[in-house]
Amino acid sequence: MLFFSFFKTLVDHEVTVELKNDIQIKGTLKSVDQYLNIKLDDIQVVEELKYPHLSSVKNVFIRGSVVRYVHLPGGAVDTALLEDATRREAAQQAQKTK
Amino acid sequence: MSFFGFDSTLPRDRGHNTRAPGFSQAADPFAGPRPEDDDDALDFEDTYDGLGDQLDETDDVFNDDTFGDDAGPVTKKPVGKDFDFFGQTAKVSDAINEEQLRFSRQAPSSRGPPTTSTFPQPLPKPARTGYERYQEPDYVPDMQVDANLWGVAPKRPAQASDFGSPMNPGIPSGARKMMSLEEVEASMRAQAKKPAQPQQPIQQQQSAPQQYTQPPQQQYHDYPPQHQQQQFSQPQQLPFQSSGPPREEARPAHVGQPHQPVQIMQRSQPTPNQPIAPTAPSQPTQILQNPNRYSAEQRRSAPAVQHPVQHPVHQSRPSGSRHIITHPQQLANLSDEERAAFLMEDAKRAKRNHKIFLLSKDNGLMTPQDKNFITRIQLQQLVTATGNPNEHGSDPSLSEDFYYQVHNQIRGGPRQHPGQPLSNFAQTYLFQTGGRHGGMRRQARGGDNHMQRMEQQVQRAVEAAKNKPKNKQLVIEGSLGKISFSNAKTPKPLLNIKRTDSAADAHRPSKAHQVGVSGSDRKTVLTDIENVYSTLMQLEDHERLMPPPLDNDDINPELAGFHIDWREKEEKLNRKLWRDLKVHEPIGATTTHPFIAFLSFSKGKKCIPRVFRHITQEQRTTILTIIVIHLDQLDVVRQGLLQPGEVQLNSATRENIELFSLAVMHTLFGYLNEAGLDIVTGLLGLILNINIDVIARTRIGVSMLTMLLSRAELIKQAGSNEREWDQWVGIYNAFFDALEPTLPNIFPGTVNTGEDVYVWQFLAAIGIGASPEQQQRLVMAVKDRVMETVAHAKTLPTAMSGQRLANVNLFMRSIGLDVELLA
Repeated sequence: MLFFSFFKTLVDHEVTVELKNDIQIKGTLKSVDQYLNIKLDDIQVVEELKYPHLSSVKNVFIRGSVVRYVHLPGGAVDTALLEDATRREAAQQAQKTK
Repeated sequence: MSFFGFDSTLPRDRGHNTRAPGFSQAADPFAGPRPEDDDDALDFEDTYDGLGDQLDETDDVFNDDTFGDDAGPVTKKPVGKDFDFFGQTAKVSDAINEEQLRFSRQAPSSRGPPTTSTFPQPLPKPARTGYERYQEPDYVPDMQVDANLWGVAPKRPAQASDFGSPMNPGIPSGARKMMSLEEVEASMRAQAKKPAQPQQPIQQQQSAPQQYTQPPQQQYHDYPPQHQQQQFSQPQQLPFQSSGPPREEARPAHVGQPHQPVQIMQRSQPTPNQPIAPTAPSQPTQILQNPNRYSAEQRRSAPAVQHPVQHPVHQSRPSGSRHIITHPQQLANLSDEERAAFLMEDAKRAKRNHKIFLLSKDNGLMTPQDKNFITRIQLQQLVTATGNPNEHGSDPSLSEDFYYQVHNQIRGGPRQHPGQPLSNFAQTYLFQTGGRHGGMRRQARGGDNHMQRMEQQVQRAVEAAKNKPKNKQLVIEGSLGKISFSNAKTPKPLLNIKRTDSAADAHRPSKAHQVGVSGSDRKTVLTDIENVYSTLMQLEDHERLMPPPLDNDDINPELAGFHIDWREKEEKLNRKLWRDLKVHEPIGATTTHPFIAFLSFSKGKKCIPRVFRHITQEQRTTILTIIVIHLDQLDVVRQGLLQPGEVQLNSATRENIELFSLAVMHTLFGYLNEAGLDIVTGLLGLILNINIDVIARTRIGVSMLTMLLSRAELIKQAGSNEREWDQWVGIYNAFFDALEPTLPNIFPGTVNTGEDVYVWQFLAAIGIGASPEQQQRLVMAVKDRVMETVAHAKTLPTAMSGQRLANVNLFMRSIGLDVELLA
């Protein structure tokens, strides 16, 4: 849930999603769900010449499982908070396995 | 009863047509009444058996001899009545009825098809579109309902017999009365007379209204499935049958029309062989309903034909057609164009309704209760998916969604749980990260409101569900099995490995022991830091659970108990935190003190402000003391020294120093601002024992010294007791003496870099507290740098030079001078 929680805070920020087939899509994150499926708006493919078939696409829904990376806007990430959130998550996991 | 040797039964009495769908088969709604095997006794083309062709047509001249003269056979010669078999048959009609009934009761299934046929059946046309009917100029859409459409099981013969039985013969037969057998025969006679005439004159219907009573009754017995159909069709006929006057009124309209609406209607009704399609359009609404209910209704209404209104209501279609034709007669009144349009529309409707019919097969499969039940199961699933009962935190939603919720709070999102004391989290992270994202914090985040309200709602639902006993399985009442859930959060574990606690415990002490021995290797330190963080988080969580403050007047024992418990826990956690920090490890036992090693990691630095919020004043002093004692060992000090030839520190170190001053120094400064002179004096005394040369040449060291000196000055100005002040002066003098040799070297890099503000601040702090003699020595030591800076400033643009001069002036003013004097 940490990643879900994290990505929720990035809604309405611009992110670049790199897919497992090497396509990089830049767009405004519109929504994300627990499977980390991603909805992007106003998208732009980074290497547009290489993927002309996507040049007319305005928004996409990306299945979470095909995402390789999400490039984050650094300014929108609260590192200290994220660290603590991670610690909490880890603590919970540890407790669960116990 | 067959006078001429052919079967006198009507086509519909001939038993089941092989081409017609069986009882269990779905009727083809498109089939339409087939004209060729309709009950079309009245249609010459259909009924003409071709016998006429065998006649010798050549000797027409002898006709008069044979049949008499023009007056007509019926009137003139009784012999001419020979073919009037009805007259004969009617005499025994009762007997026939009874016989028929008995027969149908005896052997309803073994009944064979009638052997002979009055009207030779035309060969079936092989392929049908189903729309042929619409092409006929005089087609009137059939307004009756075919029960087969709804898959209603045909009535049992026994049931059927009720209708036909002498007990209540009036109902079904009465309904059928309007076009009697006599009428049919009359028309047949007429046809025989004028074989070429394709359509009958209107008056013929009028002329024979008394007949047709019996055969339909037979029909009931012979053909039970038709009952439904008959019933449906009854009311339609009611206007004709039940009241004479309306019929008469309608009549004149038909005069002159080339076709016979009434008869057409008649014809289309009793189609035994076809579960007719055009009936479907007339009941579009019923299709969507429970078929059983509908048929039941029909059954109920059947005996009570006294409700003629009922069916017209059914038949009024909510379609967009210009003419809502509930009555075939209306159609007759339309112009050709209109009729064509109507027929088109009707065809469309038929098509649409067929679609609806196909789709509506499963309508009514689930009752509302079923649906409710499914909904409940789904909601339960949702609840199990959202909540996890065994969270350690008091606030499961927070532990699940910690980042989002706190982040939202920090960034000015609307408060999610009004009244929830989350603010200390927000404070924690808000203060910690300083003004780094200050610009983005106040960002408006619209559109979240709705989502959050929804989440809140779900949360409430989850909360409610949690109050119930929790089980991971759903046992539906009355079901045989259990449904065990797995969801995204708690998938069904494929492997369930229970780690034995004993093993874990056995492992741990040895580790702890190691820590004590080896001191400060990287991994241990990192573990220490994590321990501190987890304790911190526990403390923060605990703080949120602080019971409401006690009222002085009214002592609530329960609340007081909560407070005591809370404080106990707080203390316990505090002690744990203190242990984790390892401040009290013996100094010098290891190469680097654990706490100093702790501070060499950036996350260790970052946790200091948070730690300070949870520790006591003495603990803060201890930490400050430890830092001061090890000031020269701090990584930021050790690495903060510029090596000869270096102009700038490397970026990593600079970042480190930045972080240290932001996180640690800032915190210490906040603490020191409340500290007394004795503490300041003590700290400065400690610094005397370490390598002042190193400290004074690093930014952190200088900042620390500045901090102490300026604090002492502030205390002096606020007024302090003499003894402490004397003590301070003594230490200060010693410090000045120790520092003096380093003074020329305290400036980092050359003049050009301009990163020497903190040095000027430090010099100013020294200058303020210095005696006139010390001030002179101070000026002597830094004179070169002052002159250099002033000279350099002259070469710079106004803004920058002003800045540089202001920095220098900080120092100059502290010793009662001004840069202006130098210029």
